[in-house]
Amino acid sequence: MNKTILIIKREFLTRVRKRTFIIGTILFPLLYLALIFGTGYIADKSRESLSVAVIDKSGYFTEALLEKTNQGDTLNKLTLVKLPEVIFKDIYDSLGYNGYVVIPGNTNWKEGLDSLAFNTNKTYGIGATSPIERKLNRLWDEIKNDSLGIDSSKKQILATSDISLKVLNIKNRAADSQSATVIGYVCGFLMYLILLLYGSQVMMGVTEEKTSRIAEVVVSSVKPFQLMLGKIIGIGMVALTQFLIWIACIFLIYNVGKFSGNNGGAMADAVGSVQKVFTSVNILVVVSCFIFYMLAGFFFYSSLYAAIGSAINEDMREAQSLSFPITMLVIFSIALMTPAISNPSSPIAVWTSIIPFSSPIVMMARIPFGVPNTVPLWQLGLSMAFLVAGFMFTTWFAARIYRTGILMYGKKPSWKEMMKWAFRK
Amino acid sequence: MNILEVQNLKKYFATQKAVDDISLQIKQGSIFGLLGPNGAGKTTLIRMITGIFYPDSGNILLKGKPFDPENDARYIGYMPEERGLYKKMKIGEQALYLAQLKGLSRHDAMHKIKEWFKRLEMDSWWNKKVEDLSKGMGQKLQFVITVLHEPDLIILDEPFSGLDPVNANLIKDEIYRLAQKGTTIIFSTHRMEQVEEICKHIILVNKGKKILDGTVEDIKHDFKENLFGIQLETIPENIDGSSFELIHTSNKELIVRIRDGYKPNDVLSYFISRGSGVVSFKELLPSLNDIFIKLVEGTPSARQFEKITA
Repeated sequence: MNKTILIIKREFLTRVRKRTFIIGTILFPLLYLALIFGTGYIADKSRESLSVAVIDKSGYFTEALLEKTNQGDTLNKLTLVKLPEVIFKDIYDSLGYNGYVVIPGNTNWKEGLDSLAFNTNKTYGIGATSPIERKLNRLWDEIKNDSLGIDSSKKQILATSDISLKVLNIKNRAADSQSATVIGYVCGFLMYLILLLYGSQVMMGVTEEKTSRIAEVVVSSVKPFQLMLGKIIGIGMVALTQFLIWIACIFLIYNVGKFSGNNGGAMADAVGSVQKVFTSVNILVVVSCFIFYMLAGFFFYSSLYAAIGSAINEDMREAQSLSFPITMLVIFSIALMTPAISNPSSPIAVWTSIIPFSSPIVMMARIPFGVPNTVPLWQLGLSMAFLVAGFMFTTWFAARIYRTGILMYGKKPSWKEMMKWAFRK
Repeated sequence: MNILEVQNLKKYFATQKAVDDISLQIKQGSIFGLLGPNGAGKTTLIRMITGIFYPDSGNILLKGKPFDPENDARYIGYMPEERGLYKKMKIGEQALYLAQLKGLSRHDAMHKIKEWFKRLEMDSWWNKKVEDLSKGMGQKLQFVITVLHEPDLIILDEPFSGLDPVNANLIKDEIYRLAQKGTTIIFSTHRMEQVEEICKHIILVNKGKKILDGTVEDIKHDFKENLFGIQLETIPENIDGSSFELIHTSNKELIVRIRDGYKPNDVLSYFISRGSGVVSFKELLPSLNDIFIKLVEGTPSARQFEKITA
């Protein structure tokens, strides 16, 4: 047992001290945040402010109306131009306009304006033109309202009479399906990444030990099972450490953001949405369940990956072809996640969250919808028990392949041969 | 006292009887040669002795007690034929880790590593990685790691392959030094000249079976063909003695085989009676290499796969 701890320690320390771990753990979330805020910032800054001339032949568009909308929305500027189109189309550029629209003379407010051409010498993206479109529509609404005799108080009534449908779980008012969906996706994908990344780390670690022949030296001092278990637990600890650092970072950033005050901008928005998520979902349950499913799911898959790692030789293509069925199980689970999130109580969501191979991902996608309402306790308990039984079986099974494979060189075994190793007396 | 006793050990794989009923005893403090052609079952036998494989049947006694791989690992040091170390791990840490896996405390391990590194002039290696070492240096490191925990039984599988003569001698001296201190050494190889030089006692395995067991001297005597080399001042014409048969003649030396029922003296008196001055007269013993080839010859050079029903 003491030796297993030594192995765990080595596996853990050599990985945690690696530069890639530090970069992965600390820089990844920072880069991720920078990416989110950065793109938001860049999009904000790079939004083009266009100056658009309006040549009105219909007489509906007035200076006053345009002035009012320009005040309401300062991004783009609309200007009424009296010049005829034939002259204007040659000089709009030199007058400082980016383009112009022509309102046809036969326009009737009852029939509406279907489509207008934004005449310009550049092709603008939808990001630049849709604000102009919205602005023109607002103008047009204004014109229609005036023509219909709807004043501002009536308009108020019209604007506020929309119906929006929100899901309210009357048993558990805290569970908000929108935040739950987001958290469900985040949990599911994070689980998927952790299972695949750390699973393949186990596989490559085992193959490295085999091909560098260190396995033979180590196995003369410890049992193969100890070596395998030490590696799996060691790498599992690395995954856990990384996850806990991330959780700590989120809480830190959240709290710093909260106390630094709502001085506007993206930060306040982010804090606000995180706060909304924290209050609407039982975050403690989600995090503790995540840790359980992460470790148990990792043991389940990584022992299979370890078995494959022990069976292959230097050739990484062998690894790919042998690990394909295992990887498919993980990918299949992520495919099951989407229907499970859109309908977390459907039979398929319930059963795939109980069956061990898919349960880490599917159950983690369901848990944010609420325990014990959406996910009854019996389901959670059954799922956890099955997963524990599942990883005990895969570890047992993998250990039997591993102890043969780790010292077997030469031809790549088939799955059939590996089964034989596992189930012989 | 026998440090290791192996009784009727068997290990069958799906297509081969890798080790088929081998027994042997090894005395404490001896240097024991385990010989055999490629694929004879040496590595499988060693893997059972080191606890890597469980035997299908038979017993292994270490220091007179049944071998318990888990607790007896610290009494054994094993250097496999294919050297194995973590390439990316620092050498000092690696030695420390492997010694601790053998059951040494961190403090003891550290102390012994320092001692060994100093003796073999490896001080500057501590913070280097294995991938920075040459093949020969790696070999030296592997040897140190094998003997670091002061095992009572050291098993070396082809320890000199890839070493230059200087480093090979260095390792050889360490082997002698360890043997003098009472360490038992099993030396597995197919390089006969090394065995003749180093080992007292050998066994030869072929196709999973032991075909020879004894001291190097006894074995040579068992396989002698009554050949003698005679150096003469002048070689007489028409050599025709009833006591011997002439095998080979080269300018001043003869090789003769003494016929059954005759003694070397009969040969000597023949030449003395012919008036030839005898310069030297010595028995020609076969080399281990000759014996090895003679015994192994005739069996297919590569082991064939067979169906095992056991």
